[in-house]
Amino acid sequence: MAQNQRRFNVTNHQIPIPTLHQSTTNTTGTDTGTSTRASKTASSSDLSILTRFHAGYFRISLALCSQALLWKTLAEPTTDARALSSIVRTIPSFAFILLWSIALLTLLLLCLLYLVRCFLRFRSVRAELAHHVGMNYLFAPWISFLMLLQATPFLQPDNRLYRILWCAFSVPIVVLDVKIYGQWFTQGKRFLSMVANPTSQITVIGNLVGAHVAAQMGWKESAVCMFSLGITHYLVLFVTLYQRFLGSDSLPAMLRPVFFLFIAAPSTASLAWDSISSSFDTGCKMLFFLSLFLFASLVSRPALFKRSMRRFSVAWWAYSFPLTILALAATEYAQDVKGVIPNVLMLVLSVLSVVVTLALMVFTALKTNDILPHDDPFVCYNIARGTST
Amino acid sequence: MEQTELQVEIPSVLKQTSCQNIKDFDCVDYGNGNNPNPSENAISDKESYGESIAAFKVTNLERQEVVLISLPASPSGLHIGQTKLVLHSEKCENTDQNDTKNPYPQLAKQKKFHSQPILVRENGDRKVVHSEAIRDHRFDPFKTWSGRLERQISNLRGKPTQEPDIEAGPSEREEIEEAPGVDRYFDALEGPELDALRATEVSVLPEDEKWPFLLRFPVNAFGICLGVSSQAILWKTLNTSPAMSFLHISPMPNLILWWAALALILFVSFVYLLKIVFYFEAVKREYHHPVRVNFFFAPWIACMFMALAVPPSIAVNLRPFIWYILMTPIFILELKIYGQWMSGGQRRLSKVANPSNHLSIVGNFVGALLGANMGLKEGPLFFFAVGLAHYIVLFVTLYQRLPTNAALPKELHPVFFLFVAAPSVACMAWAKIQGDFDYAARIPYFIALFLYMSLAVRVNFFTGIRFSLAWWAYTFPMTGASIATIKYTMAVTNVVTRSLSVCLSAISTFTVSTLLVYTIVHAFVLQDLFPNDISIAITRKKPKFSKMLSHFRSSSADSKDFDSSISKNSEI
Repeated sequence: MAQNQRRFNVTNHQIPIPTLHQSTTNTTGTDTGTSTRASKTASSSDLSILTRFHAGYFRISLALCSQALLWKTLAEPTTDARALSSIVRTIPSFAFILLWSIALLTLLLLCLLYLVRCFLRFRSVRAELAHHVGMNYLFAPWISFLMLLQATPFLQPDNRLYRILWCAFSVPIVVLDVKIYGQWFTQGKRFLSMVANPTSQITVIGNLVGAHVAAQMGWKESAVCMFSLGITHYLVLFVTLYQRFLGSDSLPAMLRPVFFLFIAAPSTASLAWDSISSSFDTGCKMLFFLSLFLFASLVSRPALFKRSMRRFSVAWWAYSFPLTILALAATEYAQDVKGVIPNVLMLVLSVLSVVVTLALMVFTALKTNDILPHDDPFVCYNIARGTST
Repeated sequence: MEQTELQVEIPSVLKQTSCQNIKDFDCVDYGNGNNPNPSENAISDKESYGESIAAFKVTNLERQEVVLISLPASPSGLHIGQTKLVLHSEKCENTDQNDTKNPYPQLAKQKKFHSQPILVRENGDRKVVHSEAIRDHRFDPFKTWSGRLERQISNLRGKPTQEPDIEAGPSEREEIEEAPGVDRYFDALEGPELDALRATEVSVLPEDEKWPFLLRFPVNAFGICLGVSSQAILWKTLNTSPAMSFLHISPMPNLILWWAALALILFVSFVYLLKIVFYFEAVKREYHHPVRVNFFFAPWIACMFMALAVPPSIAVNLRPFIWYILMTPIFILELKIYGQWMSGGQRRLSKVANPSNHLSIVGNFVGALLGANMGLKEGPLFFFAVGLAHYIVLFVTLYQRLPTNAALPKELHPVFFLFVAAPSVACMAWAKIQGDFDYAARIPYFIALFLYMSLAVRVNFFTGIRFSLAWWAYTFPMTGASIATIKYTMAVTNVVTRSLSVCLSAISTFTVSTLLVYTIVHAFVLQDLFPNDISIAITRKKPKFSKMLSHFRSSSADSKDFDSSISKNSEI
């Protein structure tokens, strides 16, 4: 399949990408001549949406579902939101239901699209499974479902349906765990040192969210089981990511927003341990402080994100979910440690996460063209892998 | 005193020979016409920036006329055709000038090249020369704003030292103004502290001459403060802890050591502050050095040691605001350095990890210990968490001895003692935060003890290593381990732990005293406590003919031969 690889355009992402012409016309990959951006636009059809769609779009659902969870937590009567409670109380309850429904609809739509893609573009999906960034986003739908379950206003945690749904959403996570974590230390081409990148933390987050919901249901053993899976692999991953064997080459510059996942993982671990041990003890605090430090560290390095901020893309949605989880952890922290500073933290982080999510929604509405761009490096890289196998 | 200035393009040197009273070509006269004193800075400069001048003096019996010819002779490849003659006369001694634009023909020029390097100098006159007339401009690029600050200050003081701005070639100035990338440090330097120049490299500043004191004062000097203040903590703990009361230690050693440490900290901080003010470029280069950057944590850690070691007779309860003041610089430095590790790029951890990085981690634990001592709760936990997470990363990385890691020394070196520092301070911090020496504190303690033992049994491998000021920084882990053992003895009191405490305290005190003797000997007898700080004087780009350099260096050629051959080669 050398013909596929022949025409490569190097975009500002500095990754050789095949021209989209190949993917839309012929999956066997005959080269159909020169292609420019104009011709790409002209030749895109509905089917190309499926090709350009990939699991990374679940970032949107992650963000919306975590927002729903944040709003629910803040509005709960047991939560002493102090400064925020005045705002939160004024919002009518149907607004929460609306947010939850929007999140659910988005998630269902994305799942549907992905299912169709599985049927019609199975090769792409297989290529995605093999990609070191793509494989981690397979956890994202299950994480979104779990958070939605937790945020639902309709079911209580001790409800039978609730538990069935938890099982339904956690089993895929465990299956994916076995596959991906097993690959880390057994499979030649996909050792951890080769594939480690910041999105690998999504696998860890999946386990921790499962543990969090399980503990709230009262199933402590399953919770501890998933927690230990998550935290062990988090330890290994944290060390590996910090060592940065591959430097920043493993991640295209457009995907730099996923660095915010460094914040999400310890916050989720803190929340999970909080539900398991029923109090925000020292371990939870230490994890929360670690994620606060990483947040400060990333926020003070704007140069890291400059290139990815030049153009809107779905990667921008990666900013929202970690901020929301951090705000949730800050809320739990403020429940336990009374004082001015924890409450200020909670206020600031919650406001920040809401503002960021709203801004992202506005951007998405305004720049629908960019949300499905023509040269998303991730999808084209998949296509190259897909058509070359 | 007449001053005339004449600038003439000299086609040949012969024109000069018609002047009267020309001494030897290389001699410079200082004003007593009878006395041909060849002297002043007749030192051949191997690599120097900017133009070079051959000072050529003519003296007159009645009036001193100084005729100066400036000839480019440095290997930087300036045109031979640029010769300028400045003739002026004055009563002063040696004045050179090469900038025709200069309306004040007095003062000093920098790099002086004599056509035949003759290292004859007259000390007495030289001193006069230096203090009044000549400013050595070779070190200008390392000075703050390239020496302009110093000129401003001299102007303010009323000294008419208006000098021309030496127009170094733009590439050369840029070379100094931007610090070298981290790769250059690894390429150019070797050794466990990255302080020895490789044979294939050259230094930007003259190597065989003593540089100004401030330039030679490294940030490692704060290691002395660390060593002495940690000793103060040890003696305070020996005095106050009930488990060690059988030794009957008086509070005097703690008091003396504390005042000594205070004096040292103030002195070292003052000198380094001067270095920041006057030699900011050199400080910048130290900051970019992969090993030295960790020593920028040392002043704050030393201050925290002082707060921990404060004798009961002076203060018992310290105010929390001290903790916030001391932790802020550590927090900012941490954000920078850990962020560099995480975001990859040039300074990713797999590349730059070296044992001195422990200094950046220990700051967190010391801060946690101090905060817990003061009664704070959340702040110490914050820094403990951050320190623990990054310590795990660093520990694994260093233990792995990655092949991509260039900075780890192959042979044993006192720097390895820094491994003991983090776990011993961490266990004390955790014990203080939790309130008692529980299992979570004992685990790091035993790890620290194990690392100590594995280094102590290899002590014979430590001989034969060149003494450096940084060794002081390696004593505080030993002291830290002793203090942790004393705290452990307070929790588990029996003969074994007591004897272990006594033993470790004795070892650390003995080491510090030996180091003190060494330091005094090197400072006053051998006078090489502050050698030229080569590691900040590396070139930004790899020098050409580096192989030839290594050949010349290793064959122990004369510096003159070296210089002449370089000049020849650069003109090819």
